[in-house]
Amino acid sequence: MDTILSALPDILSATMRMTVPLLLVAIAELFSERAGMVNIGLDGLMSGGALAGFLAGYFSGNPWVGVLAGMVAGVLINLIYAYCTIKLCVDQVVLGMAINILAPALASFFYKVAFGDSSALAQGVQMATVSIPLLSDIPVIGPALFQQTPLAYIAYLLVPLSAMFFTQYRAGLNYCAVGENPQAADTLGINVIGTKVLACVICGALSGLGGAFLTLCYTSTYADGIVAGRGFIALSAVIFGRWQSLGVLVACMLFGFCDALQIVLQVNIQGTPYQFFQMIPYMVTLIALVLFVSKHMGPAANGQPYYHE
Amino acid sequence: MAELMRMEHISKRFGTKLANDDVSLGVNEGEVHTLLGENGAGKSTLMNVLTGLYQPTSGKIFFRGKETKINGPRDAASMGIGMVHQHFMLINAMTALENITLGTKNNPSPRLNRSEDKRKVQELADRYGLEVDLDARVADMSIGMQQRVEILKVLYRGADLLVLDEPTAVLTDVEAEGLFSIMQSLTAEKKAVIFISHKMREVMRVSDRITVLRDGKSVTTLSCAETTSQELADLMIGHRFRESIYEKVTNPGEAVMSLNHVSLYPERKHGGLKDVSLSIHRGEIVGVAGIDGNGQSQLAQVVTGFAQPTSGTVDTPSGKVAIYSPKSFIDAGVADIPEDRNSMGLVGDMSIAENLILKNTDDERFSYGHGAWFKSRHIHEFAEQMREKNDIRCASVDQPVRSLSGGNQQKVILARELESHPSLLVAAYPTRGLDIGATEFVHDAMIRERDAGCAILLISADFDEVLKLSDRIVVLFEGQVMGTYPGKGAPVKEISLAMAGK
Amino acid sequence: MSAITDKKQRESLAMRYERIFSFLAPLVAILISFVIGGIVIACLGKNPVQGYALLFSGSLGNPQKIASSLVSACPLIFTSLAAAFAYKCGVFNLGGEGQFIMGAVASVTVALTSGVEGVPGILLCILAGIIVGAVWAAISAVMKIVRGLNEMITSIMLNYVATLFMSYVYTSVLRDGANPQTPSVPDSLMLYKFPGFRIHAGVIVAVILTILVAYVLDKTSFGFKVRAVGLNPLASRVNGFPVKALIFVSFIISGAIAGMGGSIELLGKQYRLMSGFGSGFGFDGVAVALIAQLSPIGSLFVAIFFGILTTGASSMQVGIAVPTAIVEIIRALIIIFSVSGMAWLRLPKTKQFLAVLAARRDAKPARAEGAMASVAGTTGKEGARA
Repeated sequence: MDTILSALPDILSATMRMTVPLLLVAIAELFSERAGMVNIGLDGLMSGGALAGFLAGYFSGNPWVGVLAGMVAGVLINLIYAYCTIKLCVDQVVLGMAINILAPALASFFYKVAFGDSSALAQGVQMATVSIPLLSDIPVIGPALFQQTPLAYIAYLLVPLSAMFFTQYRAGLNYCAVGENPQAADTLGINVIGTKVLACVICGALSGLGGAFLTLCYTSTYADGIVAGRGFIALSAVIFGRWQSLGVLVACMLFGFCDALQIVLQVNIQGTPYQFFQMIPYMVTLIALVLFVSKHMGPAANGQPYYHE
Repeated sequence: MAELMRMEHISKRFGTKLANDDVSLGVNEGEVHTLLGENGAGKSTLMNVLTGLYQPTSGKIFFRGKETKINGPRDAASMGIGMVHQHFMLINAMTALENITLGTKNNPSPRLNRSEDKRKVQELADRYGLEVDLDARVADMSIGMQQRVEILKVLYRGADLLVLDEPTAVLTDVEAEGLFSIMQSLTAEKKAVIFISHKMREVMRVSDRITVLRDGKSVTTLSCAETTSQELADLMIGHRFRESIYEKVTNPGEAVMSLNHVSLYPERKHGGLKDVSLSIHRGEIVGVAGIDGNGQSQLAQVVTGFAQPTSGTVDTPSGKVAIYSPKSFIDAGVADIPEDRNSMGLVGDMSIAENLILKNTDDERFSYGHGAWFKSRHIHEFAEQMREKNDIRCASVDQPVRSLSGGNQQKVILARELESHPSLLVAAYPTRGLDIGATEFVHDAMIRERDAGCAILLISADFDEVLKLSDRIVVLFEGQVMGTYPGKGAPVKEISLAMAGK
Repeated sequence: MSAITDKKQRESLAMRYERIFSFLAPLVAILISFVIGGIVIACLGKNPVQGYALLFSGSLGNPQKIASSLVSACPLIFTSLAAAFAYKCGVFNLGGEGQFIMGAVASVTVALTSGVEGVPGILLCILAGIIVGAVWAAISAVMKIVRGLNEMITSIMLNYVATLFMSYVYTSVLRDGANPQTPSVPDSLMLYKFPGFRIHAGVIVAVILTILVAYVLDKTSFGFKVRAVGLNPLASRVNGFPVKALIFVSFIISGAIAGMGGSIELLGKQYRLMSGFGSGFGFDGVAVALIAQLSPIGSLFVAIFFGILTTGASSMQVGIAVPTAIVEIIRALIIIFSVSGMAWLRLPKTKQFLAVLAARRDAKPARAEGAMASVAGTTGKEGARA
């Protein structure tokens, strides 16, 4: 027990770090679903972003180039989803599934093209952390909260920004109208198709960013399967957070905490097979869904195709 | 009076189907112009062309004397054309104020300024006498208020020409009167209203001029003062319209089902049942009259076993009902024409034949060993037989039922439900959205079934339909039975008052 | 010809076009995907024609190779049937991989601990796989029925749990000495192999199961109800079907099929559990089912096609050094193009277009073939733009 107590600052810091990719991707999904686009291809988008971020960072030596590449990759892949679901009205879940198969395959392919089949992992760049003056000097929580990579600050900043956009701005209200009732929005002169495409671009960019975080901040390597279901956990976080930015943050922090906890437990507790610790994030996601999710209450037209003339 | 808008020779083609065929329509300032026509006559298509949702295949639109092209709803709104759709285009999760201001640029700041928006909208509402609670969520409003929100929405966008698509279908007589006075205050300010309806009484009451559409063509435009409802009905149908009159039954057989003090969600004002007692007898049609949303759907749910009453009992000749499930009610001989044929009655992507045997797949006529192996040939033969007997118009019984017209879909349901000679038929809104021919077909089938000894519960929002078919009339208001009246020589005045809760 | 029969015929002609195109869609999708794959190979400076030649000679070049293609198709047949069965009932079982793995874990446990040998032992192992696969699926099914939880998310989460559990089994419980893997199952429990070929009896089982599933879905009342629930749950309930029970049972059957697949893969091909066992079979099964438009017989053929690609990919990698992942890209593209083609067919605009086409053919019967060819081209173009 003592070991766990002494690991608390570590856990806190790791929680803050592990929440970031989930949060970025959950907000990506929030933007997507608010416009009525259920995207279950988040895992795929993340792996695309992870690889593109890694490669661009590796070859340029600049993590910010990696960040940009990750976002662009996410957007490009998600434009496939956008075209098929918006223009052709393909079932969103089916296409999300296809993205989950396509994007990791692309990532794996390009990695092998770049580095061959060697078993040694290529070392890319890692983004340095930035301490916030004064705040990071607070004992225990200071280093945990205010010594993060810039991407982490961006992710946390997105929470109030998105909340404000959806509730305080006309554009945000119009945006939500598309996810609630696209026919009505259309008769009101709101650009339904444009909003949906925009939603896909935002979703792709943020998911790609979330993926790039994994290869630029969390580790500095790329391996197939690095995403490890985080997209689906983020998807649950949106449901669990009831489609509200703040709720999504709380959900992501819970899942981020589990991720952090399992790492700390693995290091500190011997004797119990490590696989059981690794199960924690997935099990907690399941349990959280069982205990706290009530009936479906997302945007009314979520996941439905919009047939337009 | 100056002409506000004119549509000339509008045609609109969908694939091989010509929904509008050379239609012309002119509307003057300060006028209520009625568009009259059956379902499928092309009224909605024409209005969707006017509001920019569709582009016409050919034809011209003039607004205030200038030829214009309306590229989309935004164009239409900026010109001053607004439409209140029959199925409201409202966002249930948002407030009235949000719904009204959505998508507008009346207030240039990107941030929402709710108090200023509210002041403006309230002003507008007061000016035309529209009573609306701007901070209430649409989901919590009565239908009447939702409609006023729709009208405000259109006015807030500066509409001079308002299209009201079947606005009275969902209103009580009192609410309808309120709507008419709103229309009057609009025309007094030189705004024009296109009023879509097929209720002759109202049309004659509110219109200045009337344009009749039939089969996608504009038949004629008449001044209201110079025509009669009979003439309009004949023009609408294309031949002299003789409404069939059915004999009323006054001495039905024994009770097939009785509800004793049944309540379901009694706490709800709309969509609940409170202490409902009624019985349905062999060989009679009991008509349930009332404005939509006063417990009709819930009544249908209880008598088909779809919902279990919160309190009270349902009795059948074989005793009190213990298990509320559609299956046990079906087994007890209850047939159902559900209120929404697409979502509740049919499996759209299955074939006509499959939908016809939907309830009887275990039957030995259609499969060996209680559903272990289908007898495809027998199923096909049966479907062909049903198609013949019920005049289902289709290319093949193997085509998906979704591809049929509404009338033919309803015939599939009728064929399936009546084929088993049920002891009770629950018919909820059986002719909603059907044209006159299909409506007559459904009515005739119901009367035939009644005369064969079936008990029928008819639920309909169309008061004329209830009057025409019912041997006994029960009025529902806010989930309560307001009274029971004889179908023969029904006291119309009294019943309409009861429907409004008086 | 009277006006009414004229209209009737036109409708049926439009319907026939629709059927033809929906059959063509996957074939066109495969073609386009190969072309794109070829372009990617060319971009790497390799010869795509040579690559594809290696791909197909490596998977179909001789009976031995055909046999190994069939063997690698075998698990996909199971997981695709599993996906198709659940999706027919309107639930998306993305947990095929977890159920497959848990089935294999159950089988390996029985095989190594029960001591039952020969055919009874094999049957016992497979039965264990079926039951455990079904139970693993039942977790998601219960959450769906009781709490209304999205079955996709829960079944995916359970995939990760299953993979970790399997890893626990082969690293701790049933470890084979120093290697992180289980011992091999006893020889007497290995499935019968056709002399001289790598092909095992499990492939036959898969084919039989495919026919059985097709029969259940198309010819029985139960299958009819499952399909009805999948297409319209509300109408199914109004018409007296026990909707929740049907969803539950379908999901469990789906899990049972996947679990059985895991057993067969274990007893027929791998003989032991180790890292990577079953990886990707769940999603690929879903992909196969979607391309086959949920038809069981179609799934069989698509799965075999996927098996051919998998086997051939290694030959291509050896021959011209293109990573095997290219095949996965091609597969994913096939799904995207085929579902897009199907969706395009269902668009109101397309339907109107087909109706116009049918009407035109009525007028000029002689030129019909030309018109159809041009439409096939259009389908392709739509797909390509995606």
